[in-house]
Formats: sequence, C-alpha cells, structure tokens
Amino acid sequence: MNRDITSYSIVGRIGEGAHGLVFKANHLPTGREVALKKILIKNIDEGIPVNVMREIKALQLLRCKYVIKLYDMFPRGMSLVLVLEYMSSGLWDMLHHRQQELTLPRVKAYAQMLLKGTRYMHAHYVMHRDLKPANLLINHEGVLKIADLGLARLFWPDGGRPYSHQVATRWYRAPELLYGARYYTENVDVWAVGCIIAEMITKKPLFAGESDIEQLAIVVQHLGTPTEDLWPDHSNLPDYHKITFPECPPMSWTEILPGVEPDAVNFIKSFLLYDEKKRISAKEALRHSWFRTKPTPTNLEDMPRPLLNTKR
Amino acid sequence: MFSTSSQRKFWTFSDENELACHREKHNLEFISRHGQNLDEQQRYNYFLSPEEERLLLKQYELHLKEFCKRFQPPMPKGVIGTAFHYFKRFYLYNSSMDYHPKEILATCVYLACKVEEFNVSIGQFVANIKGDREKASDIILNNELLLMQQLNYHLTVHNPFRPVEGFLIDIKTRCSLANPERLCSGIDEFLEKVFLTDACLLYAPSQIALAAVLHAASKEQENLDSYVTDMLFRDAGPDKLAILIEAVRKIRSMVKMVESPARERVRAIEKKLDRCRNQENNPDSEIYKQRIREALDEDDVQYTGTSRMSLDTSGVTQVLSPSAS
Repeated sequence: MNRDITSYSIVGRIGEGAHGLVFKANHLPTGREVALKKILIKNIDEGIPVNVMREIKALQLLRCKYVIKLYDMFPRGMSLVLVLEYMSSGLWDMLHHRQQELTLPRVKAYAQMLLKGTRYMHAHYVMHRDLKPANLLINHEGVLKIADLGLARLFWPDGGRPYSHQVATRWYRAPELLYGARYYTENVDVWAVGCIIAEMITKKPLFAGESDIEQLAIVVQHLGTPTEDLWPDHSNLPDYHKITFPECPPMSWTEILPGVEPDAVNFIKSFLLYDEKKRISAKEALRHSWFRTKPTPTNLEDMPRPLLNTKR
Repeated sequence: MFSTSSQRKFWTFSDENELACHREKHNLEFISRHGQNLDEQQRYNYFLSPEEERLLLKQYELHLKEFCKRFQPPMPKGVIGTAFHYFKRFYLYNSSMDYHPKEILATCVYLACKVEEFNVSIGQFVANIKGDREKASDIILNNELLLMQQLNYHLTVHNPFRPVEGFLIDIKTRCSLANPERLCSGIDEFLEKVFLTDACLLYAPSQIALAAVLHAASKEQENLDSYVTDMLFRDAGPDKLAILIEAVRKIRSMVKMVESPARERVRAIEKKLDRCRNQENNPDSEIYKQRIREALDEDDVQYTGTSRMSLDTSGVTQVLSPSAS
C-alpha cells in the first residue's frame, strides 16, 4: 500500500487545530483508526511551521503508552498530513460534560497516567510546555495520553539556553513564565500537572485568570507575595518589576482547596511551589502516598470508555 | 540516544561499497528513465556518470560548508552538521540530475536551522544568498516537503559535537593531559573536514568525535592511547577495542584523503547537468511552474471543500481522495 491518502478512508472531521484540520480515518491495510492532521503549508509564511517540526521530532523520540503515537506522515499537495493515534475523547470533555463519572479513584488513575507520561517525557529531556485538559486525550480503552506536542522541545539539563516564555495556556502557566522567565526547566510542566489534578478533584480550574496580569494576581493572592525565602532570585525575572500587587500573605491550602481531603491537599501543594527547584518531580509524585491511600486508583477496566463514535 | 535512533537504524551503512551501490542505482535509474531513445554512446555523452555525480556533489559539499561559514547571524555547528547529514542522505536515494544540488543544498540548510532550533526567518535566510532572493525563497519552500519526505521524516541528527564536549570533560577529570583546551582547534579543523567525507554515514558520532580528539592530540604531540585503552575501554573487552581502533583509523584516513575536485572538471559537469537535468524539477521550466500551480490548486479545492465540512462530512472523502482532484 502507498504511504499516501489512498491508504486511508476518511470517516469525518474531528477538529480544527492551529495549522489545519483534523480528520478521523481508517487505515485500510490494517483497519486501524487514525487521526489525520492536515497541516497547510503556505509559502508566504516560513514553510513548515517550527511548531510542527517540534511536534514531529518529539513524537518520533517518545514511545510511551501515555504519549500519543505518530504512525506516519505524507505530503498532500502543499500540505503535510500527520497520521496520529486516534483518541475518541479527552479530559476537557470529561471535565465539562461527564463530571459525574470523574470519581476520586478515577481522578487518581488519570493523575497516574498523566504523571507517567510526564515522567517519561522528562526522562527523555522533552518538556511539553502546554499541558492542559484539552491536550490530554482518552482512547476507547480509557487510557489517557499526552497530545499536542507543538510547544514541546528538548531541554538541556545544564539549563544553559534561553527559551520563549510565551508558552503554556494561561491557567496552567507557571509563575516564572508569567514573570517572563527565559531560563526555565521541565518543572513548568509540573506546575501545570498540579493545576490539572486540582481541577479534576474540584471540577473547577484552580487559577482561572482572564488576562496574563489577572492570572499572576490570582496566583499571588493564593500563594502570597513571593519572598526571597520562598522563591530565591524571583526579583531578577524580566517582568518582575513591571507590575506590583498589594502585599498579601499566603492563603492556607485548606482555604484554596476547600473540602479536599488532607492527603490530596498535601499532594497538590507539592506541585504548586513558587521555587521550581522545590517542586516535586513526576517521578517522585508517582511514589506519593496519595496513590496508596483509599480510595486507590481505579483499574483500567473500570475507567470510563468513550464511545467509539463520539467526537472529541 | 544514538543507539536507539533512526540515524543508527536507517542511515548508518556497513561500508563505502554499500553507499556506492545506492548512488549508482539512482544514477542508472535516472538514465534509463530519461534516455530511452539514446544509444550507449549518446547516453554516456549526455548524462552524468556515477563518478561525475560524485565529483559534482563533493563540490557542492564545499559550497555548503562555505555558505554555512559565511552565514549571518553566525550558525551553530550543530546546524551545519545536520545540514550535511541531510544533503548526503538525500543524494543516496536521488540523482543530482533529478534535483539540482544548489537547490537541495539551500533547502537542507534551511530545514536544519528549524530542526536545530536556530530560528531565522526565510527573509533572513535568503539574505545570505546571492542573486534573486525571492526566487530562492520560493525554491526552498517548495522543496522543503520533498526533502523531508526523502529523509523519510527522520529529522533528528546526532552530531559529533556533543560527544566531543563529553570527551573533553572526561579527559580533564580522568587524564593527566595538561591543558586539554589546546586540543580544540585541532578538533574543530578535523570535524570541519570530516563532513566532506562519508564518515557520518558509516560511523557513530562518538567514534567520529574520538577520532577528532585523538587526531588533535597527535597534532599536539600528545598520546591519548592509554586513556582509550585503560579508561574508556578498560571493561569493554579486546574485540570492542579492536573495532574502535579500526574505525578511528578509517575515519582519520578518510579525512586525510579529502581534496577539492578540479575546477575544470566540475565546470564541464555543471554544463552537462544544465542540459540533462530533469526539467520537471527545474524551477525555470514551464512544466515545473505548472506542477506547482496544480499542487496549490489541489489544496484550494480541499480548503473550500473542507470549510463546508461541518454540515456534510461525506464530502471529505471525496475532497481528500485523489479521484476528485
């Protein structure tokens, strides 16, 4: 069979990404369901977008049950078509339309899958930089996988290179990014994971700012005005002096997460620290007692299975 | 990691013979496709021989090196190494008569910039090219997808630069060699030349890196043999050491043999190429312009088609299937 569109039969359109449309299709030789992401390349731009290049590079490197698979790709006219693993649903959908199914043991199971994927990426020196519910997809076996690696890039453990701070969707953006840091680490993902776990438990986004400034204000309101002790060197961040907020003490975590059991509160707060060096790593997080205390994570066979024909 | 990479699996070959076979195959295929009405002698006079293709491509590798060296803003070494890999990989499976090396060269460097996160805009990029810049940028962008496809989308390249850094740190900590920094210029010089050989299609980046380090040491009248045998390979066993010694010897001899092709020869080959190149891939030909227009149209059709998609999903199959275009 050819490595081109003739090997696929299109079932329908499932979405629209930043660079083009996404279709659901069947790979005829294998009968496998796939998502075809069609990226239009306009010459007036810069050719193949750097984001697409990053996504391809990252997906080729990562082979993990909890990271979406890139099966193949081929050109089509002036477009490039990526053949991705088909995922029938996502965490965003669970949070917005199927909340009642998101019980605590299931939240723990999703948190575990998310952390395993994150641990794997970080072990391979890839930071995702845009973890959020909309980028966490769920297949019909109930497995959660990290997707949309368009902002993912390799990092250097020595931290010698500057990166863009214009990454991550606002609600899940780490405070160092909000202050314009150009030197940051994979721990920006850890912050995002903390926000996502909190949101799964409370069914509400943890820090929902409507602008970048409000986002920062909300974080500061909750975690308190940063001090040299809590967050060494924070005053040297590029945008730190561009804005000041009224001095405020940190709120207690039981106020931030009302009604959440203490073990979960303990767990979540270890992700959401100003000082990125003190944040828990994905690897450590997986060993946290929260996963061993009752109720324990749901087994995969009891996880919600999105129907085969629902749209994501 | 190199050991699990596509570079090792798909782009590291067993010997020079294997490389020559691939190249010859694509030379012969081109000639039989385009020389149907010519007899043996006419074909010989009209088309490039495998040897002529080699010489031409060697000349273009020199151009590639010069282009990168003069590039503004200055280009990191990794971009240059990756561009060389792409160029060599492309012409293992394509004839220079099908795709002109000057066009592929620029596309390789442009793609390497993106993949290596050396972010320059296409405008900045073509400012480094003499002549018609708008045309150059069209050619590069039109070829980008072709190049990626010919590379089988294996974009990540492992270059010898990082292993070199590793060896230098290791030598500093585990070896009595005084002032290891003095090896740097010898290493750089060696690595610059190594990309003019086929070594990167035959050996692991760490082997090339070690060859560079050992070469630079011997230039400084130093000997790192005991570092290799007693430190690096102490527990590896004699077989592995023998393989490495042979690899290093071979890489160093390849670098020693590097020479520029004779100008007159190359000029004659270029003239020949102007006539025998595949006009379908010549940006100045009518047939090429026509093809590009069709590719653009194909996409337009899909785009107007797909914007109606939310109402009618059955159309997608039609729009995307080749029978519709």
